[in-house]
Amino acid sequence: MATTAEMQHTTASMDAAADPIIQIDNLQKYYAAFHALKNVNLTVRRGERIVICGPSGSGKSTLIRCVNRIEQFESGSIVVDGISLGEGMQNVNAVRAEVGMVFQQFNLFPHLTVLQNCMLAPLRVRGASKKEAQAIAMKYLERVRIPDQASKYPAQLSGGQQQRVAIARALCMTPKIMLFDEPTSALDPEMVKEVLDTMVSLAQEGMTMLCVTHEMGFARSVADRVIFMDAGEIIEEAEPEFFFSQPKNERTRNFLGQILNH
Amino acid sequence: MIRDFGWFEVLSIIQGMGTTLALAAVAFIGGGVFGTAVALARSSAWKWLRIIAAAYIDFFQGTPMLMQLFLVYYGLPVFGIHVSAWTAVAIGLTFHASAFLGEIWRGGIQAVPKGQNEAASALGLGYVSRMRDVVLPQAIKLSFAPTVGFSVQLIKGTSLAAIIGFVELSRSAQIVASTTYKPLLAYGLAGACYFAICFPLSRVSAYYERRLALKT
Ligand SMILES: Nc1ncnc2c1ncn2[C@@H]1O[C@H](COP(=O)(O)OP(=O)(O)OP(=O)(O)O)[C@@H](O)[C@H]1O
Ligand SMILES: [Mg+2]
Repeated sequence: MATTAEMQHTTASMDAAADPIIQIDNLQKYYAAFHALKNVNLTVRRGERIVICGPSGSGKSTLIRCVNRIEQFESGSIVVDGISLGEGMQNVNAVRAEVGMVFQQFNLFPHLTVLQNCMLAPLRVRGASKKEAQAIAMKYLERVRIPDQASKYPAQLSGGQQQRVAIARALCMTPKIMLFDEPTSALDPEMVKEVLDTMVSLAQEGMTMLCVTHEMGFARSVADRVIFMDAGEIIEEAEPEFFFSQPKNERTRNFLGQILNH
Repeated sequence: MIRDFGWFEVLSIIQGMGTTLALAAVAFIGGGVFGTAVALARSSAWKWLRIIAAAYIDFFQGTPMLMQLFLVYYGLPVFGIHVSAWTAVAIGLTFHASAFLGEIWRGGIQAVPKGQNEAASALGLGYVSRMRDVVLPQAIKLSFAPTVGFSVQLIKGTSLAAIIGFVELSRSAQIVASTTYKPLLAYGLAGACYFAICFPLSRVSAYYERRLALKT
């Protein structure tokens, strides 16, 4: 198992070297007068797993929310799998159909069952038939190991189960990229593992992932690169072994000191 | 001429009740369709659309329904548009109901957590699907109680249609009262009819609210 994962890992990085799937150049983002992202540049290669960390308010969420244009940006460019986000709603919808997102607060649709949550996007965006959508939904609910909860409403599930449904819902669109915004921060400690395990298995399948998280164990074992942000800028990026053992920047060291001593 | 209070009187009051129900149905269907449009405009991303919708709501909430009915019934013919009493009342009630329902539902739309819209957008759903499948079902649930409350007001408010010639529940009671000289009986019966319509509505609303609350 470990060797397969390692092999996939190497293959993914090698393919990726030649093949950026996300290209962010000179990204500037303001909230009114507040400069939230200051000239951010980032290239993500196909199959790469990136963990983004940094203090609260540093712009981590803002950055990944720009990738599927849930957040507007003022200047700079983002190209996702060859589609430029600057140019009209058609492109935005094309990108959103390829990029899955998982939120801290799950954001499941409370008035729909687990199954209906998962069927909605295949039905409405892919134009799948009811039967097809149901098959897709069940496939991914099995993938996150909760097919037996399909007919329940989100409120009837535990936090960990809800977050796994949210992951399944995103996977139903067979995305090429998955964005995670602190997926385990709202969970009780005993439920963190089931969600992280799901994310690890996604990584092993070669999914391109951008994860905002402070789960440093996850970063160490899964990430190809760890990015540290502060005050709207990328301060440092490195492979996890170097990031944790030899952080170069003073601010990175302070931050790591704080969260690792907790 | 004085008549006895007999079956004919009872029947004409019940017939009035039928007209009241028909008026209420017209108001609610017209108000529901246009109210949805007003609510969507009021919470749209386009500033000018929000402003127009706000002005519409302010105008029809800020003027009496009596005046609105008059304006449509006597105003349209001034512009050469001749309408039947039913058309006039349908237009007037639709204006009135859509302004109030639009404002109630706007509140509901804005009370749906932002994350719902974001999650729907992130899945690639377009505006129509985001609204129809995700936001509106939750908004309607959130504004269920005020919607029923307004509907009850609306049913009672349809008595104003009498001024442009409709013999609905109140007017039929008035006629019966003046021909039989038994106002207490006539208005008592009409009151019982209003109650028979409105009370179950409130009960049904309470029942559904409890059931909806259980689902989440
Ligand atoms: N909608 C908004 N309007 C105004 N300011 C905002 C908005 N969203 C975020 N900000 C500000 O932008 C900055 C970056 O926010 P962001 O949510 O990206 O930070 P973050 O790194 O994800 O923080 P956290 O770890 O707390 O989630 C913060 O200072 C925040 O106050
Ligand atoms: Mg955040």
